[in-house]
Amino acid sequence: MAPRPQKKLFSRRKVCRFCADKELSIDYKDPKVLRNFVSERGKIIPRRIVGTCASHQRQLCSAIKKARQIALLPYSGNVQGQ
Amino acid sequence: MRRYEQIFILRPSLGEDEINQVIENSQQIIVNEAGTIISTDKWGMKKLAYPIKKELQGYYVFSDFAATPAAIAEVERKFRIDDSVLKYLSVKLADAITAEEIKTAQDEAEARAQSLQAESEDSDTETDEPVPVKKKDTEKSAVSDDSDDSDDSVGNNESEESEDTDKA
Repeated sequence: MAPRPQKKLFSRRKVCRFCADKELSIDYKDPKVLRNFVSERGKIIPRRIVGTCASHQRQLCSAIKKARQIALLPYSGNVQGQ
Repeated sequence: MRRYEQIFILRPSLGEDEINQVIENSQQIIVNEAGTIISTDKWGMKKLAYPIKKELQGYYVFSDFAATPAAIAEVERKFRIDDSVLKYLSVKLADAITAEEIKTAQDEAEARAQSLQAESEDSDTETDEPVPVKKKDTEKSAVSDDSDDSDDSVGNNESEESEDTDKA
């Protein structure tokens, strides 16, 4: 068994939170979880910043959009911070 | 038969009877079209993220059922006419559902409802719940390094640049 060459990772590399924690599921009915992935203004935070993997970011996006439709999350949050 | 879940928001000024009436009407349509109700859950009064029809609060009702597309269309048509429904959202969960699956889903929903009831009996501070949650969330987002600057456009540009320089 030859050791597989390890990819060199940046030390600051963020891992996808949904991959790390299998218990955490993406559900549009759960605004508590989704709140962590939108900015204070209610914008979806891009993947390069939160570090979620591609497939989870896609699921997250549609979940946030559904949550917005049913008024669980704002389309545009408060204008001046809190 | 397809499996759907549906959330609808009712006006906060409605009485208990009127709320039950709306729920019953929608379920009656589903049952008439040979559908089956799996579960209904009244989430109760919640603050809306944005005002809908000038209401700031809404009474959320969640239901899970197996029905035909025609039934869904009819329910949504009724919702659009009904003035007491502020907004609704129907989501298709599965393209096909068998009678057995309906049965197991019903049992699961019942078990979940019972466990929830037991919990709520232990601590009846439901109305206080949303407030501490929100606080926690803002704290979290403040801690996570560059994810949120109050000026978002500026913040994003900055972080992008810094990442690029790191790679170089």
